Amino acid sequence: MKEKTTEDYIIDPDVYICDPVPQQTPDQNMVYPFYDHLRDNRLTTTRCKDCGHITWPPKIVCTECMSDQLEWEDFPPTGKIYAFTVQVGGVPPGFQAPLVYALIDFDNDLRIISPLIDTDPDDVHVGDEVVLKVVEAPRDRVLFFFKLKK
Amino acid sequence: MGQKRVALVAAGITKFGKRKATFRDLIAEAGKATFDSNKNISPKDVKAFIISTVYPERSAFQGHPAPLAAEWCGVRPTEFHERVENQCGSGTSAIRTAYAAIMSGLTDLVMVVGVEKVMVPSHKEIFLNAMAGSDREWESCFGVTPPPLFAMVAQAHMQKFGTTEEQLALVSVKNHNHSKTNPYAHHQKGATLEQVMTSRLIAAPLKLFDCSTNTDGAAGVIVALEERAKSLTDKPVYILGTAQINDGYPWVAYPKDWSTWPSLRFAAQKAYEMAGIGPKDVDVAEVHDCFTISEIIEYEELGFCKKGEGGRFVEDGQSDYGGEVVVNPSGGLIACGHPFGATGVRQAWEAYIQLRDEAGTRQVKGAEIFLGHNLSGLGEHHILIYGRS
Ligand SMILES: CC(C)(COP(=O)(O)OP(=O)(O)OC[C@H]1O[C@@H](n2cnc3c(N)ncnc32)[C@H](O)[C@@H]1OP(=O)(O)O)[C@@H](O)C(=O)NCCC(=O)NCCS
Ligand SMILES: [Zn+2]
Repeated sequence: MKEKTTEDYIIDPDVYICDPVPQQTPDQNMVYPFYDHLRDNRLTTTRCKDCGHITWPPKIVCTECMSDQLEWEDFPPTGKIYAFTVQVGGVPPGFQAPLVYALIDFDNDLRIISPLIDTDPDDVHVGDEVVLKVVEAPRDRVLFFFKLKK
Repeated sequence: MGQKRVALVAAGITKFGKRKATFRDLIAEAGKATFDSNKNISPKDVKAFIISTVYPERSAFQGHPAPLAAEWCGVRPTEFHERVENQCGSGTSAIRTAYAAIMSGLTDLVMVVGVEKVMVPSHKEIFLNAMAGSDREWESCFGVTPPPLFAMVAQAHMQKFGTTEEQLALVSVKNHNHSKTNPYAHHQKGATLEQVMTSRLIAAPLKLFDCSTNTDGAAGVIVALEERAKSLTDKPVYILGTAQINDGYPWVAYPKDWSTWPSLRFAAQKAYEMAGIGPKDVDVAEVHDCFTISEIIEYEELGFCKKGEGGRFVEDGQSDYGGEVVVNPSGGLIACGHPFGATGVRQAWEAYIQLRDEAGTRQVKGAEIFLGHNLSGLGEHHILIYGRS
């Protein structure tokens, strides 16, 4: 029997309740520029123009000073693995084991969690450097994965 | 007049497991068990009702659960009714909400039922549902669920403090052996160190037996203002202290060192101060062993041992009968299973029977102080401290 995927769980194309990939277009999401940048291979987030506060994930209002004057800023090109694990059990439908999850720290003091792809789990170590790898998701969407820096 | 006080006056539970039952069946069963535990209270006496449940919208396609649950327990609330949801900490949050409702004077008696229907016909859908509590747009979209997150907590703790996989396993062995005396637990067979160490890998270093089990279940308690409580039972179990904290969301917004949970330390300190006790006064505790590593870090942050020595604490038998504090006599989340909305209420049920000497062969002799702890994230904690007087 063929493995079911998240797509198989969508009963009707108009029902998105079981589809975990975010909506990425201006008619659905105010941080849509993030995804536009991602399509250009840029990993970005928002910094407050008024107080300089930067967060991950990006926001539409600064959580430090409540300003809505935010600007997009690129992440440093490489991040470093703080911790990682290889998940082989309990994997949700639509995802394939083994999944290498890593907590990735950047020089801008932000941390991202993401799976590593194109990566042999045996090659991964704490402290290794990783770079962005943009992956296409169903219905013209994109996600930010990472891979080991060669 | 002294300060207002609030106490448990009834507690009941359902069998936890892969139940042949619907969401509402579980609620009705817990409701009956709760009323059966104290014949001085009938559903008609209850004017305030809280349901604790995390995702009935996903597992039963059922929203608006508070009036449904009240009705299935025979209650038509006229003073207060509400659903409380705080992911894995919902049960403790719900009892705190009941406490707040009583302290505010809106009511003097509240029934709290915690429930989760987890086991759905499609097994994999359980893991899909597990994604719903994390940040869908920035984390769950990658399939992130608790096992890999806590695996990374374990990696961080092992790296920093030298905690070993065997020490993790010993938490599971202890909790599985405790549950042999709990007929409501999902697992009641016990476990050996070898069984845990050789169980199938889930997310390194966590193996199947390091993880709490997905299960169905429900539990109920009734809490009341002291005067009312005394008229309903001669052995009320008092809430002495409580605290709650959330330090960041989503997962990557928690403090950077995942081996150390300062927010739990902070909340515990606050709850101890409110109760007028210290960690050494706790005789018995039910803590959130969603994974073995969690219980080890909780020993440390709750002050049962020094930071970094949680592994040794369990190895030395200090969290078992005869040690400093008996942790998870019921079997905890690992052996009872973890029906999210029910777990904190199950812990309160354990407090109720332990502090009334009704826990049978797993009774912690002479227990005066009980600590219950739930977490819903590394920086998100919910604590209730109970006492006999
Ligand atoms: C670890 C996990 C992925 C395993 O799921 P799974 O691969 O579907 O495995 P199952 O639950 O079907 O378990 C397989 C068998 O082992 C048993 N089992 C599972 N966990 C066990 C444990 N800790 N101890 C003993 N037996 C266990 C099950 O009862 C089952 O037996 P059965 O086939 O006779 O019914 C899953 O239990 C899980 O996700 N746990 C964590 C839940 C969670 O994240 N909760 C929130 C915490 S914050
Ligand atoms: Zn700002």
